[in-house]
Amino acid sequence: MAQALRLALERALPLVPQNRPGLPRQWLAALPVLLIFGPLLPGLYWALSPAMEPMVWQALWMDAQWPHALRSTLISNVLGTVLACGMAALLATLHYPSRLWSSLQRRLPLLLSVPHAAFAVGLFFLIAPSGWLARAIAHFFQWTSPPDWVTVQDPYALSLALALAIKESWFLLWVLAAVLGEQAVSRQMVIARSLGYSRTQTWRLILWPQLLPRLRWPVMAVFAYGLSVVDMAIILGPGTPPTLAVLIWRWLTDPDPALQARGSAASLILLIVLLVCVLAVRGLGWLLKQIQPYPGGQRKPTANWRWLPLHMPLFVTGYAVVAVLILWSVAQTWFFPALLPDAVSLESWLLADWTPFWTTWWLAIAASLLCLPTVLIWFEWGPKHLNALLYLPLIVPALPLVAGQYATLLHLHLDGTAVALVWSHLLWVLPYMVLTLIGPYRAFDARLMSSARALGYSPWRACLAVKWPMLLRPILATLAVGFAVSVAQYLPTLFAGGGRFITVTTEAVALSAGGNRRVLTVQALLQIALPMAAFGLAAFAANWLGRHRKGLR
Amino acid sequence: MKLSTLAAIALTLGVSTWANADWSQTQNDAKGQTVYFNAWGGSEATNAYIAWATKEAKTRFGIDVRHVKITDTAEVVKRVQTEVSAGRTSDGSIDLMWVNGENFRNLKNGGLLFGPWAQSLPNWGLVDLNKPVRTDFSVPTEGYESPWGTAQLTFISDSAKTPAPPRSAADLLTFAKANSGRVSYPKPPDFHGTTFVKQMLLELTPNKAVLQQPVTPAAFATATQPLWAYLDQLHPSLWRNGKTFPASAAEMHRMLGDGELKMSITFNPNEAANLIAGKQLPTSAYSFGFTGGTIGNVHFVAIPVNARAKAGAQVFANFLLSAEAQTRKADITVWGDGTVLDISKLPTASQALIRKTAPGALSETVPTLPEPHASWVEALEAEWLKRYGSR
Amino acid sequence: MLNIKKLTISHAGKTLFAGLSLAVDQGEIVTITGVSGSGKSTLLNWMIGDLDPSFVATGTLWLNDVQCDTLPIEARHMGLLFQDDLLFPHLSVGQNLAFALPGKIKDVKARRQRVEQTLDNIGLAGFHDRDPATLSGGQRARVSLMRTLLAEPQALLLDEPFSKLDAVLRTQFRAFVFEQIERQRIPTLLVTHDPADVPQGGRVIEISDWQHSHV
Repeated sequence: MAQALRLALERALPLVPQNRPGLPRQWLAALPVLLIFGPLLPGLYWALSPAMEPMVWQALWMDAQWPHALRSTLISNVLGTVLACGMAALLATLHYPSRLWSSLQRRLPLLLSVPHAAFAVGLFFLIAPSGWLARAIAHFFQWTSPPDWVTVQDPYALSLALALAIKESWFLLWVLAAVLGEQAVSRQMVIARSLGYSRTQTWRLILWPQLLPRLRWPVMAVFAYGLSVVDMAIILGPGTPPTLAVLIWRWLTDPDPALQARGSAASLILLIVLLVCVLAVRGLGWLLKQIQPYPGGQRKPTANWRWLPLHMPLFVTGYAVVAVLILWSVAQTWFFPALLPDAVSLESWLLADWTPFWTTWWLAIAASLLCLPTVLIWFEWGPKHLNALLYLPLIVPALPLVAGQYATLLHLHLDGTAVALVWSHLLWVLPYMVLTLIGPYRAFDARLMSSARALGYSPWRACLAVKWPMLLRPILATLAVGFAVSVAQYLPTLFAGGGRFITVTTEAVALSAGGNRRVLTVQALLQIALPMAAFGLAAFAANWLGRHRKGLR
Repeated sequence: MKLSTLAAIALTLGVSTWANADWSQTQNDAKGQTVYFNAWGGSEATNAYIAWATKEAKTRFGIDVRHVKITDTAEVVKRVQTEVSAGRTSDGSIDLMWVNGENFRNLKNGGLLFGPWAQSLPNWGLVDLNKPVRTDFSVPTEGYESPWGTAQLTFISDSAKTPAPPRSAADLLTFAKANSGRVSYPKPPDFHGTTFVKQMLLELTPNKAVLQQPVTPAAFATATQPLWAYLDQLHPSLWRNGKTFPASAAEMHRMLGDGELKMSITFNPNEAANLIAGKQLPTSAYSFGFTGGTIGNVHFVAIPVNARAKAGAQVFANFLLSAEAQTRKADITVWGDGTVLDISKLPTASQALIRKTAPGALSETVPTLPEPHASWVEALEAEWLKRYGSR
Repeated sequence: MLNIKKLTISHAGKTLFAGLSLAVDQGEIVTITGVSGSGKSTLLNWMIGDLDPSFVATGTLWLNDVQCDTLPIEARHMGLLFQDDLLFPHLSVGQNLAFALPGKIKDVKARRQRVEQTLDNIGLAGFHDRDPATLSGGQRARVSLMRTLLAEPQALLLDEPFSKLDAVLRTQFRAFVFEQIERQRIPTLLVTHDPADVPQGGRVIEISDWQHSHV
């Protein structure tokens, strides 16, 4: 009887979520997204078509720099990604589920909000021959001059690999933590262990086979990012020749059209490398699956390695990076081999140029505020099955996309304008905001909307009055994520802004080549402060706006 | 009074009034314009000075000057070339650029410069014509660029670690071998690096006069043969065995401060004083030159032929040439860049300010060697890159 | 014989229950009832060895005269059944069961045979290579129970195992579970809030008997 009543109700009332919106409405909802992605397509054609000339490929082949550039890129990226995965996997295997795991999880958001460029600067100051690490050792061995190490800007890009490994391991740990937080997963661990298998065996036989497929997109995003990273490569990577990404960037920004075409051709190489690596990993996965033996039931107790503080180096590096940045920003004279500055003062902060800070600030606010309604409208009325397309900018190396954007802007004579700059950031802010909001949005109880509609509200008013206010906390978190993503952007600012707009990120990278570490660290710390402030503000706002509504907090 | 004299006076007055009227017109046109000034941004003192000048330009002349920081002027040259060849003949993105040497030559030969305009600036009368302000690396400027300041290749060292610095190319080789891994120079085509190579060339080449003439392949081969032999000997003792080079002079200053290098290089004899004041070098740092002299030159500002704000650029260039701006520029506490003006034409207070010195600045008189002809620069850079550019 | 001796669990300073002592015989099913949040699941978590670190527990657990409370989960030989079947999705139905088989059966063919036989016994003959997601709720529940039992546990803990099944399935499955337990003579602890789940003549323990101070 209850069933019959429910069916009748469903027939009588058009339930918004079940009802697929009509095609015209879907297109209308998709319009903002089309505005972000659409102009990119002709731009990609304009940017990449010069690369189709065989002469360009010949010139690229003849260029003496590309073999070494490709080598540095491959080493730094493959090593960095593998190490990041390995470290995250090791920590998860050892410490999940335990008190240490929960505390590690809590420390991650702080570390994650350190943008890549600032992290690279800090790591440089840690491991350079005149860096903190060398000074600590010099103290021990009584050195007076920096050692003759090649720890940064080394020809094989190992320092870049290390930086990528550490930074991305935090990200992968965070992704793992989210997946492991699911009750189904934690209960599987208990079940497997109750069947007699040790933790390590459970991980190897039960958890990893399930989790690895779920991790493929984040790992692919990590790999794609590393292929195209320019700001970290400028700071930590080799100079002559630089990584392929830096080389491509230099070629693309050269006024000479022949070099621009060479840059386009080389960015196609990046895409090919990505595809090859993805196929190789998939092949490896398939192979491993084929050789899985029939469950043999062997229970092997494992040694307890959990007492080893293996998580310490990973987390301590993060704190050390921020600490060294802070120290340098207030240092007066601080030459090798002093461990601490001779004198501190706030001079650098008082004399600092705050223009990049404000530029970054309004740019990030504009980008995240423009993206939010786009995301909400897409989720509510857009074609849901096309969600995967929105994630494309995350798993494709950024360089070809940025080149495409730039080509479009040049054709429209909009390069160097504020509108162009904000538009270019939207391409990366949008996917991250989608990623953050999609979980809570899908988990929203559809019956609340049905109730609102039953009370007479139109779909639009129901969203405004019921759904979106109830999703306050996730929406604020999404805004903070969008803000942080915009702050960290480097290539779009350079290309679309035509060099006219200086953000803390571009300033930090430009200053990293100079001699004044104080000014550089001030900008790097400002780059860290912005996303942190955004996350803090979002959390505070969520609590404050929901101060009378416990269910919202 | 004779009619001819009257006529002469009338003509001069008329011409000067016409010239003044012309300049007033330029100043009027300049009001409200945005001038994109493309200038090397690798030194904080320079950037700070330019920031001051842009502020003054805004308040005094209503011009909005934007300092576009450049790492390599050759890129700006390329940009102008591309824009003009793409048909962008009046809407260029560069209005005023800091330039000299081979970059100027390329622009002038390509007809890419607006002008002549430099000698019609009101402040041209203050310029010291004894300085090489009308030829740039042996290429006559012909009014296509306006002088801005002087420069001389200078070395910096730390007296606590290097009390007796090298004073010649041969000295440098011995010094590098004794201090293996502690000497280097910026990688060409960074202009400090190129100038270092030119300096060595001047000392080692058999016939210096050849360098003042446009380069030919035969002359190049003969003149540079001792240079490459020298560098081949020098590089293994350099920092990182000469396989990598510091990217810029600024990086070398930092390495000098930390003791990673024993010597740094600059074009500004007063730079060390700036760095000590900015706590980037220890107080024991000092500047020195070679006993045989080091390369010196004049640097200029020029206007591309397709500049959008030509009037604004000229007014700004005139301001840069003014007594007040030049004095402030030469002030060692601000930038310390040498003035192109005739000091005797300036007020006494300015003269004292210009002559003021500070610890760390070049205190000895180092003879100035003339720059080779502009065409030698590109040939040298290309050959250096071929020999030492990639591993 | 499963023995709990003087168990006290507290969380954030508040005692959930104190001095709980219980002995369960071979083949006996003891039901623990209580209101939601009274600590029934916490008790099972402690017994299996998966107590959240924020809880503080004192007391001992004995299984066949071996002290268990200091052992890790994998050494206790206790089976656990949740309300969700929790079949491993990346393994087939047969592989799920084979996973649970003790290692002493080394031969692959023998293991497979044993699994096939088990499937036969629960009416799922030929389901060896099926994806667990393609099975119905009742089928999955049966496989899940057999998986737990194939590991030859010495005690069994059931955490509301029938609550996700509908009325008809519930009765069938319940009878099936009790039958298996009786056949294999395993001491069992059943946690539920549905009085209909209590087996005929089985002991029922109300958890509030050990709660002196209520939260």
